[in-house]
Amino acid sequence: MTAAKQALSGVRVLELSALAGAVAGRVLADLGAEVIKVEPEGGEAFRRSEPTVPTSLGEESGAWLAFNHGKKSVTLDVDTDAGLDTFARLCATADIVVTDWERLSIAQMDRLGTAARAANPALVWTEILPFGRGAPYQDYAATDTTLQALGGHLYLNGDVDRPPVRISLPVGLIQGGAEAASAALMAYYHSLKTGEGQRVDISVQECIVWTLLNSTMAWQILGLNEMRGGAIRKERANRFFTRLVWETQDGYIFFGPVGGGGGAARIKSYEALVNWMNEDGFNDPILTKNDWNGDGQFFISQDDYDAVTAVIMAFIKTKTTEELMERAVRERILLAPISSVAGVFENRQFRARGLFRKLDDPARGLSVELPSHWANLSATPLADPHPAPAPGADTDAILAMEPEGSLT
Amino acid sequence: MSLDGASPLDCKTGIFAGLKVADFTWAAAGPIATKQLSDNGATVVKIESFKHPDSIRLGGPFIDDKPGINRSGFFADFHSSKLGIAVDMSNPEAIEIIRPLIEWADVVAESFRPGVMKKWGLDYESLKAINPSVVMLSSSLYGADGPWSRHPGYGAQGQALAGVHGMTGWPDRAPAMPKGAYSDSVSPRYALSALVAALIHREKTGEGQHVELSQVEATTQLLAPELLIYQATGEEITRQGSRKAGSIVHGVFPCEGEERWIALEAVTEDQWSALSAVLDRADALAAARAEGPDALEASVAEATAPWDAFALMAACREAGVPAGVANKASDLLEDDVFAARDHFWPLHHEEMGTLKYNGPAYRFERTPSDLRFASPRLGEHTDQVMAGILGYDDARIAELRERGLLG
Repeated sequence: MTAAKQALSGVRVLELSALAGAVAGRVLADLGAEVIKVEPEGGEAFRRSEPTVPTSLGEESGAWLAFNHGKKSVTLDVDTDAGLDTFARLCATADIVVTDWERLSIAQMDRLGTAARAANPALVWTEILPFGRGAPYQDYAATDTTLQALGGHLYLNGDVDRPPVRISLPVGLIQGGAEAASAALMAYYHSLKTGEGQRVDISVQECIVWTLLNSTMAWQILGLNEMRGGAIRKERANRFFTRLVWETQDGYIFFGPVGGGGGAARIKSYEALVNWMNEDGFNDPILTKNDWNGDGQFFISQDDYDAVTAVIMAFIKTKTTEELMERAVRERILLAPISSVAGVFENRQFRARGLFRKLDDPARGLSVELPSHWANLSATPLADPHPAPAPGADTDAILAMEPEGSLT
Repeated sequence: MSLDGASPLDCKTGIFAGLKVADFTWAAAGPIATKQLSDNGATVVKIESFKHPDSIRLGGPFIDDKPGINRSGFFADFHSSKLGIAVDMSNPEAIEIIRPLIEWADVVAESFRPGVMKKWGLDYESLKAINPSVVMLSSSLYGADGPWSRHPGYGAQGQALAGVHGMTGWPDRAPAMPKGAYSDSVSPRYALSALVAALIHREKTGEGQHVELSQVEATTQLLAPELLIYQATGEEITRQGSRKAGSIVHGVFPCEGEERWIALEAVTEDQWSALSAVLDRADALAAARAEGPDALEASVAEATAPWDAFALMAACREAGVPAGVANKASDLLEDDVFAARDHFWPLHHEEMGTLKYNGPAYRFERTPSDLRFASPRLGEHTDQVMAGILGYDDARIAELRERGLLG
């Protein structure tokens, strides 16, 4: 492991997970915790989830590899009485357990949790669930996409002439995992100070609601249910549509040049855009016909918005995404590339800050860079990536340290 | 306020009871992180410049649709249980008030564009000189260094750069903008994990530190698998509408009524059979499935269209099929699960009346979170903080106000 001291050095975490629990374990491992995966013989099912990548060990899940590097693995059949006993003894040496509903049923969580907490009253037992604890909703079937819907975010995404559309990423599961990491650490902070452990449960539906920002207030205060829009939408409580997604020579940018809500930064951003357009011979009078970002913006006609949009669109189409961003940074124009995966990988701001760290995994023939340096902690830097474990790689070493019966 | 006689300066319960936070954060990403401290018992003093108050006070929705500094529901939701003081931060003499707050604090949090805290003499090195064990959290859109660090921007730019926007929408169309500002909701979870880890380290060693993060970089964690797959195989995954490889049915379908939609998913053959039975058209669905995904989705849509969305969800739940109504904001306020879980907290505010604030997504079994009181009006607690925390008497407070330092 990394030699430098880390914030969670000496903290032991057990993880029984599919995706969400692995993300929680990922955050804790990045912060320096020893994270031990407890898996069935042959490894947890999520190791083989689609889409996979070919490695020297066979086809392995891309998501599994991305979130499980630098952890340890113990294989243990927790469904047997003997396995439960061993699990409880392991819990006596741990500080935090994280688990999720795609790996364990509620009944399994109850069985394991009861034994674990009896063995270690200071333990933080963390569960990531679709709706959280409490009958009867804790048993409803749910998946990431159905939770994007139930949390109110899906309704707001997509083009008006097609059904609402999901984000093509398991955003709820990953945010549920990150939320679980922070909640587990809060509970561990309490345990550290008082010796009192407890159960913490996370609702992915509630995590999704937190991505809405102001929608539940907009309903209560204005009786307004916002409507989705793809590239063109009514922002906030606007009565008019504005374009927010623009095609460049080689991709797309996000940009709200007009009608975006006011403020000095938006006014200056628009002035800088118009200056640039003028340099290039784009000087249609519509560009300066209205107070596009001032107090008057709410009273401009849709026809005028459409007219100014057409002129700006023609200009943006003459530029590459890179040209646009370079000038934007120089002149404080409030636009941003809509990055593809390759765009994220190559982003020069991320590169300059060292977000990406190398994962060399010779046993798998895998050498990649991961966005693992997501924070800078001045006294206790985040851990750098190390290879993910083979199933049971650490069983002997970890269980040997706890002789049978010594802790019970 | 609904304090029932308890002092807002000193909460006795909650995980962070006794933790002192000087909170300079503004907009969304920073305040959402510090809300997790205040709602769990920390004494969080939000320091606002009355000449340049938090900009989301100027963002709607406003009570009665009338803009006003103390009327924004957007601001309110992120500021439960926080104390608010108003200071003229542009006046160099403001340090007379800020310095003792730094001495008092365990945590100093800020989310300004890099350079602002330094301009005020409040960068980490300066804070450390005043309070050696302080933990400082700095969260900014692009991060403290690098070529774009001073570039202004909002979460909408953040979600575009982090790749979330590009992963939303239809493969045959321009990427659809996801509602909100995804980096504002993802990054607080990472910021809080790092901050609490730093507090744990301080608890064990006495050592403080500076936690710095870029909201966009934290948000890229959502794409870690896609980034790995891209490097390992050369394949660049992009938005897929609402389909998902490996599922038999994975889509969003119409129901009865205006803009009523339901997300349905069948991964296993058992779920497929159960869904076909619920929709009561097994033969037609089987034929459509044989024809391909377009025909299948059209057939499912035809079957769901006459259903009440909530009735269909209930039937699917009964049958073990994952289903989720595309809840509108109005539905969320009436959601059974949220009601049973007490997700919303009604809090009373002098100018805004009683509104339901969003509570956290986690529940602590033994140390429950508590949204103790509504968001502060600008400068609402200035006098209380000056007297109760800094120990200033009325004459001293009046003098500071006379000099234009306090709002």
